[in-house]
Amino acid sequence: MVTSSVVNTYPLSSYSFGTKEPKMEKDTSVADRLARMKLNYMKEGMRTSVEAILLHNHPHILLLQIGNTFCKLPGGRLKPGENGIRFHLTINDHYTPFPPSDTPFCLAEIEGLKRKLSSKLAANSPNMQPNWQIGECVAVWWRPNFETIMYPYCPPHISKPKECKKLYVVHLSEREYFAVPKNLKLLAVPLFELYDNVQRYGPVISTIPQQLSRFQFNMIPA
Amino acid sequence: MEIMNGRLNNGGNLNLVFDIYPLSNYYFSSKPGVSSKEETLGDRARRLKSNYDVHGMRTYVEAVILVELFKHPHLLLLQAKNCIYKLPGGRLRPGESDVDGLKRKLSTKLSADETQCQWEVVGECIGTWWKSDFETLPFPYLPSSGNNPKECTKLYLVKLPSSRDFVVPKNLKLLAVPMCQLHESRKTYGPIISGIPQLLSRFAINMVGS
Repeated sequence: MVTSSVVNTYPLSSYSFGTKEPKMEKDTSVADRLARMKLNYMKEGMRTSVEAILLHNHPHILLLQIGNTFCKLPGGRLKPGENGIRFHLTINDHYTPFPPSDTPFCLAEIEGLKRKLSSKLAANSPNMQPNWQIGECVAVWWRPNFETIMYPYCPPHISKPKECKKLYVVHLSEREYFAVPKNLKLLAVPLFELYDNVQRYGPVISTIPQQLSRFQFNMIPA
Repeated sequence: MEIMNGRLNNGGNLNLVFDIYPLSNYYFSSKPGVSSKEETLGDRARRLKSNYDVHGMRTYVEAVILVELFKHPHLLLLQAKNCIYKLPGGRLRPGESDVDGLKRKLSTKLSADETQCQWEVVGECIGTWWKSDFETLPFPYLPSSGNNPKECTKLYLVKLPSSRDFVVPKNLKLLAVPMCQLHESRKTYGPIISGIPQLLSRFAINMVGS
């Protein structure tokens, strides 16, 4: 894990993009997705998902677009073994989003995020895997019920949140090759387009500019 | 901070767990108010502009201070007049460091006298907002137009001891506002204060002994 409040960003031109086989979404509607989430919760407990903020240029973040409008960050649900939170003692019966950072469980979460990034953005061959440098966590969102609403804190009186979503900054190196599933589009969106644009991007993505405001961006020219 | 690969080296700066205490642990009293400058908007704009010409960008440092109430973190806010809410803090003097300036302002706004500078500022800045002009809204990124920003506001997390006296100037009211109320109350509190729950989401807030 990289800890630094300085993020190096490189021009978009230093990256190469290819395509690979489509990765279809598992659900066709929001209702289906919430129903599947409920089933999974009964089997495995709270869902933890991790998502990555990949930056380039005068900061733009990379988003995956499904269909015509819906955008999401690369990432996804962790498998039960990768879930650091489940094994963490709750302090005073409250959900804390972190295991102590030098325990094996935090590393498992980092490895889980790398797995998700490679699945969504890397070529399938094992010798073309990018060296993902996972940075700091910048935001944590909680889902109290099987609904689409999420909050940046675990609401009071909620003792069993259904999902915890953690956003990490990922430091890209100067050259990378990304292979994007054919059914998805990879977009580079500048921070000023995300800020305050809840209708287009939702509350989680549209507030990323605030969460990145404490970093210093070091734009390295071509 | 250096970039280190492999395992995280916790140099103390990345301590993401912090304790907050019940509101009832703290004592509040008042002191004579600080008279604010009575000036017209035009005068203020001229004053800020001439200040900028001499000293450059104005930097404000503000403190995010939390207490526990009803098992939910509450943010301490100062209310001036009827609907102006501010975080404790203020403008840095030229050449003053962020932390020194913040401690000085906290002592002026929240302590009996200005020499009591015992405030614990946790880690680095948690969020930054820039204004490209004095009358515009703040944004959480540098204006891309290439103009230098006129104002910068930096937020810092301040840890309270388990008990403390707060002495507040009479012309200000000290409020404790729940995080769930700040979230999405931009019209009431403005973008900086209403965005604080998101900035704090990555921390593990430990509510001690209620």
